[in-house]
Amino acid sequence: MSHYRYLLRKIGWSAFTIVFVILLNFFLFRILPGDPARSLTKDPRMKQDAVEALRVRFGLDKPIINCFDSFTPVRIGSCSVNPLETQFFIYVKNLFQGEFGISYKTNRPVSDILVERLWNTILLIGAGQILSIIIGVVFGVFAAWKARTSIDYGALLTGLMAWSLPTFWLGIILLFWGSNNGLPIGGKSTPGASTYPLLFQIGDIAEHMLLPTLTYTIVFMGEYMLVMRSSLMDVLSEDYILTAKAKGLSTFQILKDHALKNAMLPIVTIIAINLGFTVAGAIQIESVFSWPGLGGAIFEAVESRDYPLLQGTFLLIAISVVLANLIADLTYSYLDPRVQSE
Amino acid sequence: MRKFKSLTILILVGALILSACGGLGQSQPVTMRVGWSGSPDTLNPGAAVLSEAYTIFGLVFDTMYQLQLDGSFKLSLAESVSVSDDGLVYTYKIRDGVTFHDGQPLTAEDVVFTYYLYQNTDGYPWMGDYTYYFENMEATANNEVVITLSEPIPNIDAQLVFLYVLPKHVWENEDPVEFENTAMIGSGPFKVVEYQPEEFVHLARNDEYFGEVPKIDELIFQSFGSQDALVQAIKTGQVDMIYELPNTAVATLEEDPNIQVVTGAPFAPGVTDIIMNQVTPENCPPDDGLCTGHPALLDRNVRLALAHATDKQKIIDVVLLGLGTPGTALLPDGLGIWYNSSIQDYAYDLDKAKQILDDAGYADTNSDGVREMPDGSRTLTFRINWDSDNIDPPRIAELLSEMWGPLGVKLEAQALDSDTLTSVCCPAFDFDIIIWGWGSDPDPNLLLSVMTTDEIPTGSSETGYSNSEYDALYYEQAAELDLERRKEIVWQMQQIVFDDVVYIIPYYAQNVQAYRSDRFTGFVLDQPKVELSDITSLAYVEPVR
Repeated sequence: MSHYRYLLRKIGWSAFTIVFVILLNFFLFRILPGDPARSLTKDPRMKQDAVEALRVRFGLDKPIINCFDSFTPVRIGSCSVNPLETQFFIYVKNLFQGEFGISYKTNRPVSDILVERLWNTILLIGAGQILSIIIGVVFGVFAAWKARTSIDYGALLTGLMAWSLPTFWLGIILLFWGSNNGLPIGGKSTPGASTYPLLFQIGDIAEHMLLPTLTYTIVFMGEYMLVMRSSLMDVLSEDYILTAKAKGLSTFQILKDHALKNAMLPIVTIIAINLGFTVAGAIQIESVFSWPGLGGAIFEAVESRDYPLLQGTFLLIAISVVLANLIADLTYSYLDPRVQSE
Repeated sequence: MRKFKSLTILILVGALILSACGGLGQSQPVTMRVGWSGSPDTLNPGAAVLSEAYTIFGLVFDTMYQLQLDGSFKLSLAESVSVSDDGLVYTYKIRDGVTFHDGQPLTAEDVVFTYYLYQNTDGYPWMGDYTYYFENMEATANNEVVITLSEPIPNIDAQLVFLYVLPKHVWENEDPVEFENTAMIGSGPFKVVEYQPEEFVHLARNDEYFGEVPKIDELIFQSFGSQDALVQAIKTGQVDMIYELPNTAVATLEEDPNIQVVTGAPFAPGVTDIIMNQVTPENCPPDDGLCTGHPALLDRNVRLALAHATDKQKIIDVVLLGLGTPGTALLPDGLGIWYNSSIQDYAYDLDKAKQILDDAGYADTNSDGVREMPDGSRTLTFRINWDSDNIDPPRIAELLSEMWGPLGVKLEAQALDSDTLTSVCCPAFDFDIIIWGWGSDPDPNLLLSVMTTDEIPTGSSETGYSNSEYDALYYEQAAELDLERRKEIVWQMQQIVFDDVVYIIPYYAQNVQAYRSDRFTGFVLDQPKVELSDITSLAYVEPVR
């Protein structure tokens, strides 16, 4: 019974958070200083008629919400306005229809851009996450098992270094190193590759992924390794491990059957949190390697003040972080049923 | 650590084998790969704003005229033109046998359809300006277009040069603003093979092209996330040409024997200007004007002293690493014949500058290092602002602060985001000095209009400068059909604003590009302007054998 209540409560909170984000996301971009119609013209010297035409096209001529025309400066508009004709209502209505508006810069629907970019990001960051989890966990276990030996200290040092490397800097260094060794440093495929055989296309994308994935793996494996190491060392100092040793079990059996399950809990948490931010892409990695993912889209949107695109990416990121946290909570309660009673 | 290394090598080897396998058996067309750090905003010529988009349009579409690297215009899609005596009716004869990339013929119908589309679509940012004087357009025969103007203008070529001719059969059923035009059917020397937004534009030669058919088979524009990556890409041969590069990379690239760096006046001329607020109380825009400018800037002596105290060569050396030309008036040297090359710039002479201020009564009476107004009311302390998106102005502001400090002028520097800058600039005139810039059409009309009295309330005039003699000359040149006479007027106007020290122009920045000289040759480099990616140069490029 309490299991379902726990589930419901978690899902309820997640839904509430998403609604809050939708509201915040709408108002945040309208409190920003400056006239959005002016920023979407890109040129301050544009003629007034053309600005008005753009205003109508992007729906900026309508009042933001009932009784308010604009927030900058705050001005009370007519309360007789039909609430269905306000920017806010249209925004919410469009969201439910999967419409995120039109990008100021490219004139394309934001939802189209997001879908294109999302897959590229999932591909890159997914590969990076899997690699860094595997490497991090394996090395972490190894370090904890050989605790306080030179192997452990070596692993600890490497982990700390990898974790504290500035992503952008590491990316640039790998970009120089990789390009001098014949690796591609821009984009996700060679232009024109789409006409080549499938095997070549896969190899081509893999080749383009190599450097960004490597950067991502190095940066994230340190974190996993350190957390795994300290968590496992805690568990290994427990009495029941001593008991297991006394029973004469092999080290492998102790690790596999007794220690790892308990030691994995903190790892699950950080994996879930990191996965949520996966959708945000790695803004720095994607912009260094010109990877056409969501992180790169955020970077470009900020550069060109493309508010609808920013708004769309923010919403997508917020929703995925909330969902990832929800999944983490649920997995956690499965792995460790005690949390439900809290 | 060893385990990790071997894993990396394993992945590396795997990827290399895969790519090597795929590479076999492909015939090798001659492909030139161009790297740039931007990408077109859209392939819809009406809706596009960014220069990257215009670069692609110039390769894929045709226009009546083609802009040459010396700044002149040449008939392109039209083979001849005749103009009525009153300068109102232009009759263009379209070349025979021109076809679009999809095989359909290009006729006068398409041209007229396109021009009306550009004129009538409100959502297009620039096209309304270019078609402003077109009163009527008509296809009088299959290959004849007649354009009737509302008043005679001297520069119909500059209006038509960006009006890319579109296929009516593709566009007539589309929403003119929302149409993404990814197939981009045109009639130009290159056609689109594949377009991936923000990734690459893949073009192939159009063998049916009526003009100079390019020698290379394919042309790829690839986007890179940063200029550092661009430089690295050309160094390692991943691209054959780069469209832009930071001036800091010029020295290292010049050392590379396989890379040729080229610099020169840009195809699309630009200017960086130091704007001094000169709006008088009587000219202050009644609706939007705040007009809080420092009164000293209304005095030509002060502006002249500032000009004499500005070491432009030092600014160019520090900010552009030498890759710029000292400026005189708002019209840049990239405007070719329109640029008044006879103007002698104010010499950098601090003593002379001091003398001018001393003589005009601006003395430092309290010896704090900053001069005061002759009536003692205010010190010569100026606010100086710039657009925080631009990287050069903060360095210019710092240098100005160093140069003008010894003169007894103090600067209060602050970067503003572009919206705020626009709102303080014009028509509010709520500033003292702004560092900003202009990109120019090939025709001087726009930049000349910026300094007229009529543009003060519209927000186009940044300085608030007003001179009736200049205004009269502006309207005279705008209706002068004789090229030589118009040039004389335009030169005279530049002399007037230079003498009045309306602006201080620190520099006209040069275009800086580079290509792999071990792979390609034939770029046109002996012309007044440099633009490797324009068809006037690209058409002659061929691989090094």
